[in-house]
Amino acid sequence: MKLSSRYNQVNIFTSLIALIITGVIYYVVIHFILTDKLDKDLAVEENEINQYVKTYQKLPLPASYIDQQVHYKEVKEINQAREFSYTTYYNAKEQEIEPGRSLITTIALNDKKYVVTITKSRVESEDLVRIILFITLGITCFLLISLILINRFVLNSLWKPFYTLLNQMKAYQVSRMGKINRVPTKIDEFNELNDSAIAMAASVQQDYKELKSFTDNASHEMMTPLAVINSKLDSLLQTEPFTKSQGALLEDIYQAVGRLSRLNQSLLLLAKIENNLIPDLQDIDMKELLESKIRQFQELFEKDGLQLIHQLESCQLRMSKYLVDILMNNLFSNAVRHNHKGGLIEVRLQKDSLQLINTGRDAGLEGQLFDRFSKSAPSEGLGLGLAISKQICALYGFTIAYTYQNEKHFFTVHF
Amino acid sequence: MKILIIEDEQAVLESILTYFTEEGNICEYASNYLMASEKIALYNYDCILLDLGLPDGEGLNLLEELKKLKKKDGVLIISARHSLDDKLAGLDLGADDYLVKPFHLSELKARVSAIVRRKNYDGHNVIVFNEINVDVFAMQTSVNEQTITLTRKEFDLLVYFLSNKGKVVTKNAMAEHLWGDEMDIANDFDFIYTHIKNLRKKLMEAGAKDYLHSVYGIGYKFGTS
Repeated sequence: MKLSSRYNQVNIFTSLIALIITGVIYYVVIHFILTDKLDKDLAVEENEINQYVKTYQKLPLPASYIDQQVHYKEVKEINQAREFSYTTYYNAKEQEIEPGRSLITTIALNDKKYVVTITKSRVESEDLVRIILFITLGITCFLLISLILINRFVLNSLWKPFYTLLNQMKAYQVSRMGKINRVPTKIDEFNELNDSAIAMAASVQQDYKELKSFTDNASHEMMTPLAVINSKLDSLLQTEPFTKSQGALLEDIYQAVGRLSRLNQSLLLLAKIENNLIPDLQDIDMKELLESKIRQFQELFEKDGLQLIHQLESCQLRMSKYLVDILMNNLFSNAVRHNHKGGLIEVRLQKDSLQLINTGRDAGLEGQLFDRFSKSAPSEGLGLGLAISKQICALYGFTIAYTYQNEKHFFTVHF
Repeated sequence: MKILIIEDEQAVLESILTYFTEEGNICEYASNYLMASEKIALYNYDCILLDLGLPDGEGLNLLEELKKLKKKDGVLIISARHSLDDKLAGLDLGADDYLVKPFHLSELKARVSAIVRRKNYDGHNVIVFNEINVDVFAMQTSVNEQTITLTRKEFDLLVYFLSNKGKVVTKNAMAEHLWGDEMDIANDFDFIYTHIKNLRKKLMEAGAKDYLHSVYGIGYKFGTS
């Protein structure tokens, strides 16, 4: 739920309740006031009748006006208290029963006792109350509608800077060295948000840069000692004879050093691709390249008795020769390394995609295949091949995806 | 051959010096830009091994100096910087080859030998080792004047061994030499066994002595001993 619609809900709900309550109070108060006025009028009439009786010692004529009627009724005993009450009366002119308010009182005249009923029409005051009610209702509706409209249009435009900023943050990618631009607004909160977002992006970028240059520098710095170890090992090897166990030790060291330097080079390469430091763009004929790769890997295919099926359409790409080479090497090496003896490798090149399909020892792979250092336990690889492949693809806007179907592993690159 | 090694890392320098010093080779070294610049101006070398990251100057500038002096010394750049730009710039400035640290000394030797051969025997590029004759340019091998047919990889291996004769060459180095380090199959040495077995068989069938010796499973040594 959007903040504005939530705000709308609360706003409209409370306004509605407030308006209903005030409406009710309004109605009750007005009603009370009008009734009070009627009662006063009735009292005045009573007073006039009393005056008349006192002066003339007789009852005034029972008058019957349009909106006022006076009745007299002789009674023996006065057991009627003075009281106001709501009644109805017959309006002779309109020929209909109308609501009224009557005052029942008593009067004594020459030993006779009368009950006097003075009735006044309530129509006017009822009408007045009704009009007031309608006006109140009208104002309520108008208020609600204008509230909704304000919320819809004004709030939306008020929140605009927020959404602009939000979209920028969504699109922000630290690896692309993107920037968050200032959204012009006069609202303090948004300005503050804006500042914080910009500051955060800058500090994230700074950290990212430092981390990257750290990888780069660390790998570089490691190269020299590695070169020393390597050359010293080579020199040591020339000082034979060794015993057999010394030979085995040396071999193990060679393996480890070799692995370490490959690891180091891969990390450096990753850092370089991320920094887009490999600019040598050129037109690559993928069909030609793949044919030469297939030749290059022929020996490996044969060794494991792998059957190769290829289906190559012509495809032109513009990328670094160096990187496309690495990408193809990684994909082919994986297809060979994770295959079983007598397995199958299929290469399908189309105008906009390349697919490498291979049978394999493992069932479908799961998890973060393209993450750094993710690899199956028995794998001899460094666990960087696919991470590098993914980076290379990302650099040129390609996508690389993995699927597992019919006991085959599919690696698909969409150009 | 006469070689100048420009390298500031003492340990690496020593190793290279030891590896390259043998009969017929004269190795000199410079551990900074100034020293290197002087030596380049004063003497001629068959090959200069140039480390780009020198403490007192940019190695690439030495290439420009060489160019200015109109010298024809072969240059092999050795650098810890695995940078395509450096490589292209170096080759552009007249370097013959580019090798990234860390490297195998045998690989270094093979590359230096190749450069020296190219420089010295224009078009007539033959390595002679006792009864074995290898024409690198024409890719032909003969034993006792009798031509034998080698596959590309066997030929490459033989040239590699001849450049490193008398040295123990590791399987790692051979694998990287034959397949490149990017192919990431460096742990799979079955290929090496097969190729070496075939090469040895072909050489011996043609009447050559058995020069290929396995060394403790680490590698092989090509030589008379």
